[in-house]
Amino acid sequence: MRLRFPRHDLHALAGAYALDALDSQAERDRFARHLSRCPSCAAEIRGFHEVATQLAFAVTAEPPPGLRDQVLTAAARTRQLPPEVSRHRAHARPPRAVPWVPWLSGAVALASIAAAVFFGLAQSHAQDQLSQARAQNQALAAVLSAPQVKVLSQVSTKGGTAVVVLAAERRELAVVTTGLPALPAGRVYQLWLIGKTKIVSAGLLPPASNGQTPAVLATGLVKGDTLGLTVEPAPGSAQPTTKPIVALALPV
Amino acid sequence: MNPSDSDASKLESADTDRRGGQELDYLLVHVARGDTDAFEGLYDRLVGPVYGVIRRVLRDPSQSEEVTQEVLLEVWRTAARYDPAVGGAATWVMTIAHRRAIDRIRSTTAAAGREQRSAEVHTPHDEVAEAVEASLDRERVRRCLEGLTEVQRESITLAYYGGYTYRQVSDLLKVTLGAIKTRIRDGLIRMRDCLGVS
Repeated sequence: MRLRFPRHDLHALAGAYALDALDSQAERDRFARHLSRCPSCAAEIRGFHEVATQLAFAVTAEPPPGLRDQVLTAAARTRQLPPEVSRHRAHARPPRAVPWVPWLSGAVALASIAAAVFFGLAQSHAQDQLSQARAQNQALAAVLSAPQVKVLSQVSTKGGTAVVVLAAERRELAVVTTGLPALPAGRVYQLWLIGKTKIVSAGLLPPASNGQTPAVLATGLVKGDTLGLTVEPAPGSAQPTTKPIVALALPV
Repeated sequence: MNPSDSDASKLESADTDRRGGQELDYLLVHVARGDTDAFEGLYDRLVGPVYGVIRRVLRDPSQSEEVTQEVLLEVWRTAARYDPAVGGAATWVMTIAHRRAIDRIRSTTAAAGREQRSAEVHTPHDEVAEAVEASLDRERVRRCLEGLTEVQRESITLAYYGGYTYRQVSDLLKVTLGAIKTRIRDGLIRMRDCLGVS
């Protein structure tokens, strides 16, 4: 299966890959897998990305005047992802299949949640830059492989489901969603950690592909937090402005 | 073109890039620690090319502004995941910017806008020529693009600035798929050598 094309053919796609000009997600995924096994290809892509950077600098344009304030204000109220967890740790504790889900019954429920979570991982791998995706996946792998992980899910009031893998000890969680309705332009889904005394943003849901959003990591959970999901005007709000479509109490 | 002239400017610009690049890497590392001053510095240095490339791909000013915001917030949010060993900060940011612009045109919500856009994008060479003026960056890129064959140049500009897939490029230029893949790659190799990047 993985050698559907001869390798030299795949390699010829390096240019189109670097310019985001591959034809489909499947083709991107296939090339990304090739890249992870081919250090010389990765070096070539790095060089091509630098060329692309120069192409971007060549069309530098004056941004709209209000943008600076909007971005800086939004940044000031947006939680940052923590640094990459060490590879050593992620490797030393591979995800365990069964003991994660003490109270969910049924192999089917477990399998579908695991599939949703890992599908989210696979997607984030394909969509982001490789290095970024690797780091993100390692951080998520650390959540998934933490002892005493709990899996929670809730159907949103607008349809679709949010699945949460909670590593209470690490005070971290990973969220994937499936089947949420597509939003009109200018609206985004935003995650919140709703505490007793304050509400903090846990970031925006990345764009869905095939109805699923790649896993999002939220950190710094405190006791009593509820995970909320709302629809907000882009690029997100400082505090929720609409009623949550998901509100999941976190047993931290 | 005088070869010694071109070598000299290549060296000089590579050196400028290196210093500018180190500053950006430094800023991004501080952004990762939540330093909002560093983020302002990074914003001021990179918003022009980020907005420029997104605008070039999407055309629509309000969508471009929206995607630019998303990209810069993503930079803020994921700065700790930036690995300087893998490439420079500017490249990391521009890769995110171009990807997000492409995501936007390939998503179904943008389907209508896309139709409109495709009617406009017919003369990639002229567009590049029009955009590529004043600055040294533009001058270098223009010179290097001129050093490509016509098919190499058009396929790279259609893919990168036009946001077309290589299959669409093959259609537009009436060149086989296999040839387009090769032309894009060969063209990028020439650009890389001409621009003096690693």
